[in-house]
Amino acid sequence: MHKPGKSAYPVLAILAFMVLAPMIALLTVPGTSFIESESLAFWKSAYLRRVLIFSLWQAFLSTVLSISLALIVARAFARHGKFPYRSFILKLFGLPLVVPAVVAVFGIVSVFGSGGWIPLGRSLYGLNGILLAHIFFNLPLAVRLLLPAWQSIPKQHWKLAQQLGLNSWQQWKYLEWPALRENLPGVGVLVFMLCLTSFAVVLTLGGGPKSTTLEVAIYQSLRFDFEPSQAVVLAVLQFSLCAIVAMFSFRLQKLPEVEITSSSLQCPVDLKTLALNSIILLVAVTYVAMPILAMLVDALNGPILQVLMNPKLWRSAAFSLIIGLSAAMLSVLAAWLILQSSSDLYYIKQKRKAGYLEMVGSIVYVVPPLVIGTGLFVLIAPRFNVFDWAIPIVILVNAMMGLPFAIRSLGPTMRQNKMRYQRLCESLNLKGWDRFKTIDWPPLRKPIGLAMALVTALAMGDLGVIALFGTPETTTLPLLLYHQLSAYLMSEAAVTAAFLLGFCLLVFWLLEGLIGGGGDA
Amino acid sequence: MVEMLSISQLSFSYTDTENNSVMPMSFDLQAERGEILSLIGPSGSGKTSLLNLIAGFNQASDGKILLDDKEIQQFAPAQRPVSMLFQSHNLFPHLDVFTNIALGIRPSLKLSNEEQQAVGEALVTLGLEGFNKRKPGQLSGGQQQRVAIARALVRQHEILLLDEPFAALGPAMRTELIEVLKELVSRRKMIALMVSHQPTDALLASKRTAFIDNGGVTSIQETADLLNNRQRKEILNYLGPK
Repeated sequence: MHKPGKSAYPVLAILAFMVLAPMIALLTVPGTSFIESESLAFWKSAYLRRVLIFSLWQAFLSTVLSISLALIVARAFARHGKFPYRSFILKLFGLPLVVPAVVAVFGIVSVFGSGGWIPLGRSLYGLNGILLAHIFFNLPLAVRLLLPAWQSIPKQHWKLAQQLGLNSWQQWKYLEWPALRENLPGVGVLVFMLCLTSFAVVLTLGGGPKSTTLEVAIYQSLRFDFEPSQAVVLAVLQFSLCAIVAMFSFRLQKLPEVEITSSSLQCPVDLKTLALNSIILLVAVTYVAMPILAMLVDALNGPILQVLMNPKLWRSAAFSLIIGLSAAMLSVLAAWLILQSSSDLYYIKQKRKAGYLEMVGSIVYVVPPLVIGTGLFVLIAPRFNVFDWAIPIVILVNAMMGLPFAIRSLGPTMRQNKMRYQRLCESLNLKGWDRFKTIDWPPLRKPIGLAMALVTALAMGDLGVIALFGTPETTTLPLLLYHQLSAYLMSEAAVTAAFLLGFCLLVFWLLEGLIGGGGDA
Repeated sequence: MVEMLSISQLSFSYTDTENNSVMPMSFDLQAERGEILSLIGPSGSGKTSLLNLIAGFNQASDGKILLDDKEIQQFAPAQRPVSMLFQSHNLFPHLDVFTNIALGIRPSLKLSNEEQQAVGEALVTLGLEGFNKRKPGQLSGGQQQRVAIARALVRQHEILLLDEPFAALGPAMRTELIEVLKELVSRRKMIALMVSHQPTDALLASKRTAFIDNGGVTSIQETADLLNNRQRKEILNYLGPK
């Protein structure tokens, strides 16, 4: 009888420590407990109520707008099989995943800020700007997550629709909506969660008294107001909200794989619909491309040499790279160890247990990074100088943030390897390193390369926990950019933003190519 | 007026995107009312393409499709007097049996009393009484194909195209459904073209069978004769030696 491996245990122990220690600190450390009288008064404050309502409201609006627009765009995309540069557009829609939030914010300010291409003036700052940025990130993500639903419709159904003379509305009702209905709640909850925990966007485009979310309020309490007790209350509240949303998300579960072929549907459309679809797609592509283009134009007109000669930029780049690579390596290693055990469980038909084990890797969705950061801040502050711990903490938290991506990337291949080759390997007595290099590595190369590239790029561009712990000596590129934006050094910021984006893309491309290059998944 | 389906020089170029190749096709055949004409031949020979051309899913570059001397190739799929059955996915899984059939009459599902009655009669004819509220997932493979045939019945179209409709069924169920189909086609004077990979299905369903190879009809014969004919190389290659 095949026994499930125990490789996941150390990872689970570290994850438990990373989540429980900060949570216990938040709840028990003297002077900061959230049930003490000072905290109790804060619970009842109008400020907290306002922050809570705004957090939920902006996440709700962002989700409704992103998903509604994504449905329109995805439908046009799915039904317009021969749209020129289809695969290029799909790649463009994948770009917001690796564009650092603070870079996108700069692009959005370049387009919609006063003096921008479509100036909205001061009204950009606040809810409007937050919504514009969240749509920039989540519209393409939702399109990519929803598109497979159209591809899941059997081609016979499209033929039937033609034969039965179903009009566009009837096609939606009988073919498309039933296929989408399964995925929509999962995608909706994911987008809601991303918007609820969005930090960099709200910090840079909101942040005023009227437009602060719980995440930003936590940061402001720790870094500006020096009110750890207030931060604790906010963190507990944010954790509770995320736990509720995560419970919904785990119940819904159904989230499609983001794997889209460029094949088109066999659904005929008339000329008028074709024209309308083209306009919808052009508007969507323009919306996603415009902030990046505007930022690049600003960068080309900016003080390129002056910024590039600044040693601060290179030191920040080095920190970003160290954080990115270390977080990615930890993330991929942790994912591999978890998946070793979960694949064993799959193999012995304990699929439910395997699913739960993999779900633990997504703990970061329940306990947001900033809540973990706050807990660690509260835990460490009385004993040590928290800022000395900046880099290891940022690496660990970013590794946790990357873990769900790494599990998602490696999971299918590792399970497949186990199911296909386990018996053969046992009969050939192929195990350990020999098995890894000859059997497991070739098909795993590509997903490992992708996971390394993605987690590195995400960690390099993250402006989250580093904002809590960062100091002038430990500044990363996103933090440097945020400081430049805060100081209204817009032309320098443009160059830094372009540099950060280029750096992230270069590292992404190099890692994906070097590690994943020759592998066939 | 000759009451039959007549296809002459119906041309089409099939593009295989994977192999980057183009296969020209041209079909000629006739089928009479009340007849099930079986189409057999190797994979990729053009059997399904022929059905798609008749149904209007593919556009012919040349040639004619005549039903009772009237051209139908200029019509859109919904306007052609054609119903098609596939091997699978004939039904919408989230709709019940009644609705799946009713869609064949009116996609808006606003049925008159007579139309509702017609759906009920089709259910009875196909032995599906009492199944009207069931979803396709609650039916066996054979029952699902019966529902698809019921929908074809209520549409009252003269041409029935069957693309390996019984391939996923066991021998007993195939025989039973072929008998049902033969009776319906004969009684309603329909014209049915049935693609099959099973020579036994052709033998059971059709007096005549067409052999399709390389994008064209190479021979139409009495089914038993065609299945015994090993002199033609393409038939020998397909059926194998006796």
